Amino acid sequence: MFTPAPRVQLPSAAASGEVFSVKSLISHPMETGLRHDGQGKVIPRKIVNKFTCRHNGVVVFSVDLHEAMAANPFIEFYLRATQSGRFEFVWEEDGGGSYMLQHDLTVA
Amino acid sequence: MKAPMVRSQRQKYRARAWRIPPVDGKDLALEKTKPLSVTRRTVLTAAVAGSAGFASAALASSPPPNDDAVDLVKKLTGKTPTTSDRLHLVMPHVFPNGYTVPLTLVIDSPMTDSDHVRHVSVLAPRNPLVEVATFHFVPQRSEPRVSTRIRLAEPQYVLAVAEMNDGTLLMTETWVEVATNGCK
Repeated sequence: MFTPAPRVQLPSAAASGEVFSVKSLISHPMETGLRHDGQGKVIPRKIVNKFTCRHNGVVVFSVDLHEAMAANPFIEFYLRATQSGRFEFVWEEDGGGSYMLQHDLTVA
Repeated sequence: MKAPMVRSQRQKYRARAWRIPPVDGKDLALEKTKPLSVTRRTVLTAAVAGSAGFASAALASSPPPNDDAVDLVKKLTGKTPTTSDRLHLVMPHVFPNGYTVPLTLVIDSPMTDSDHVRHVSVLAPRNPLVEVATFHFVPQRSEPRVSTRIRLAEPQYVLAVAEMNDGTLLMTETWVEVATNGCK
């Protein structure tokens, strides 16, 4: 069974007010539900449909993903450093599965 | 919200996309990415060619740019978008495969509480499923700038539609030509 592996890349320290980039990647086949197997049966859709980034419990960025996102969805986005705290990155998959990563940021 | 595209609309897109073959090695599609508008030159030419009445007629009768894209967005959101140069949708004009087409989206916005982008949707009108992704931003916390990779079924105009905090819709589109179908 394939297990998606989430990854994020962002700094651990930033100056107050600084804009920093966050790169997120999850290895996931993103099965669109448009393909058929050898017997002509539809392969059911299984994609990551929601990505959320929270900072100290507050949503600061989120994405609704649809079928046309590439496999292994990579999303790079930009956040402003306001206060130290914990970032939480959550990928939610069709069928209720979810994957989470945490990262601490210190704002000087 | 999966509004299926009506057949005539698909054909309209198809017709428009294929109407622009490269001429003399010059890709007219690239020039088509900028919406047609009434420029100083067209107004002056019209004024010189005819009377002032002719010029005003040209102004009044010039159709709004990219009709079918506007129709599609109206159908999906119920609002009329306006084409804006505050949105920058950066994609390669030609890409060898449709499975991972890079996309960068930047919106000019101060992201204050009184002036910010709520969310941006990316649409691929000639994909089997039109919606690609919606990015939600939070004022003062996230910058309206993202990069990702998407699938495209065929050469087409990719649209980005941004909803601002006052509810207005801004739109931009860019032509992308892919060599293989990324949706099967």
